[in-house]
Amino acid sequence: MATITCREFRSYLAPWMEGERSEDAQAHVRACPNCSSVIRDLEAIHTEARSWSASEQDAPERVWTALRTQLEQEGLIRDTIPASVDRAQAAAPRTGWFAGLFPRLPRPVLAGAYLAALVAVAFALSGPVNRRVNEARWLKGTQISTSPLSAQLNFAEQNSSSYVTRSNSVVSASLHQNLAIVDNYIALCEKSVSEEPQNEVARDYLYEAYQQKADLLTQMTERGENVQ
Amino acid sequence: MSTSHFVPAQWLPKSKWKTAGLLVPSLLLCSAVSAGPRRQEQHFKVAAHPVITIHNPNGLITVKAWTKSEVMIISTPASDRIEVDAEQMGNRVDVSTRELSDSVAPDDMRADFQINVPEDAELQIHNDAGNVSVANVLGDMNVETVAAGVDLEDAAGYLSVKTVGGSFTCVRCAGRIEASSISGNFRLLNLRSYHVWAQTSSGNILFNGEFLPNGTYSLKNYSGVIEVRFSPGDSFDLSATSLKGKVNNEAKLTPSTHQRHFMPRWGNALFGTFNEGRAKIEMTSFDGTINILKRD
Repeated sequence: MATITCREFRSYLAPWMEGERSEDAQAHVRACPNCSSVIRDLEAIHTEARSWSASEQDAPERVWTALRTQLEQEGLIRDTIPASVDRAQAAAPRTGWFAGLFPRLPRPVLAGAYLAALVAVAFALSGPVNRRVNEARWLKGTQISTSPLSAQLNFAEQNSSSYVTRSNSVVSASLHQNLAIVDNYIALCEKSVSEEPQNEVARDYLYEAYQQKADLLTQMTERGENVQ
Repeated sequence: MSTSHFVPAQWLPKSKWKTAGLLVPSLLLCSAVSAGPRRQEQHFKVAAHPVITIHNPNGLITVKAWTKSEVMIISTPASDRIEVDAEQMGNRVDVSTRELSDSVAPDDMRADFQINVPEDAELQIHNDAGNVSVANVLGDMNVETVAAGVDLEDAAGYLSVKTVGGSFTCVRCAGRIEASSISGNFRLLNLRSYHVWAQTSSGNILFNGEFLPNGTYSLKNYSGVIEVRFSPGDSFDLSATSLKGKVNNEAKLTPSTHQRHFMPRWGNALFGTFNEGRAKIEMTSFDGTINILKRD
């Protein structure tokens, strides 16, 4: 039987992650599935963070590589990947990265950070690349670069919504209401971009709406974590 | 205790009965109220430029400047199952609201605050719901909310406000202002700020303040109304673009002398200079309306 409560166990979290695991804390983790789950998530984050620090700038590079591969496949940019880089490896992160990221959404802050980085890099890439191509390619390029964003944001939304239901009702209502507003803007911007593929203003608004959605989902999932 | 105020009947003249009849229930009511939320007052001595951080999930936060080198925090939790922690670390005072048991409902996580700080204090406030009101504080400020409105008066320094749906009102503010929201309305009144950056998606933006020489004013939304008011003596270079909405202008603009504007291929746009063009104003909307109106 656990000798401490879940609330008391929170004060043991930091020492636990430092390797200090008292008997009380160990007994509680064994007995409490919720706290045990939290510990597993924290350890997963810890492991992930260590892998990031082992290769500096690794995550942005992955994002860059995924988008570059995608744009190359559409012929929007030329092949600039050095021969020394394994092409299969270069293409892999797009599926591996997304696939690896979202099934682990118990780490929502990481997901939010990844989404924000993805939107930012996509935004940065879209201008100079797309200006050089014709309208059909603008449209195709924009759709191709935004479709994965849209799909992953929707996926993240589905996962984060289940967390936020336990937060303050006013806050929860506001978050969902504003998410609907942003979704509506995304739909309108996508329509506008499809009608006028070379309209930089519409495209800028679209990427900003994606960025807002990523920020919002991050806030929602952060609050979900807090109330668990 | 209300019993300590009991007065034997024979001691009272008849004329006092009416008063007593009112007094006793009032005292009973007071004692009942005092058994509810626990009002707590704390004082912290601080040096120049103290930093005060506040993390509160829900409630009214009122911060005012005073002349003392001291931070006073009066907190009123809405429930006895939550408590307010306030602790000092050097010249920083951290205030947070936390639950005392796992079973506290999210809607019960509410505390109200009245806080007095030195006028040079730096504030970092996080309040999801309720309202944040700050007056006469001249230090830097960072306020983040979800649904809570933010009201700043006579503030200065670097003011950063971020809400999801909360409104933002800034009256007689100076310094640098950056505000963003998704659906919050912004009202920027009687400003004397050299840098204003305000972006909200579905909210309205009203700017009624001075355009300082060399100041930059960037106002952007998706829908809604962006409105600026100008006086005959103002001096600015203006750019207003609404992709699918309207731009209404009462200013007599001349072609810009400071920079060349390219005519946009999309939407309704207006570029030009008013007087010497000392300040720079940029307004952008997707399908909202932009109004450039004379000040009354």
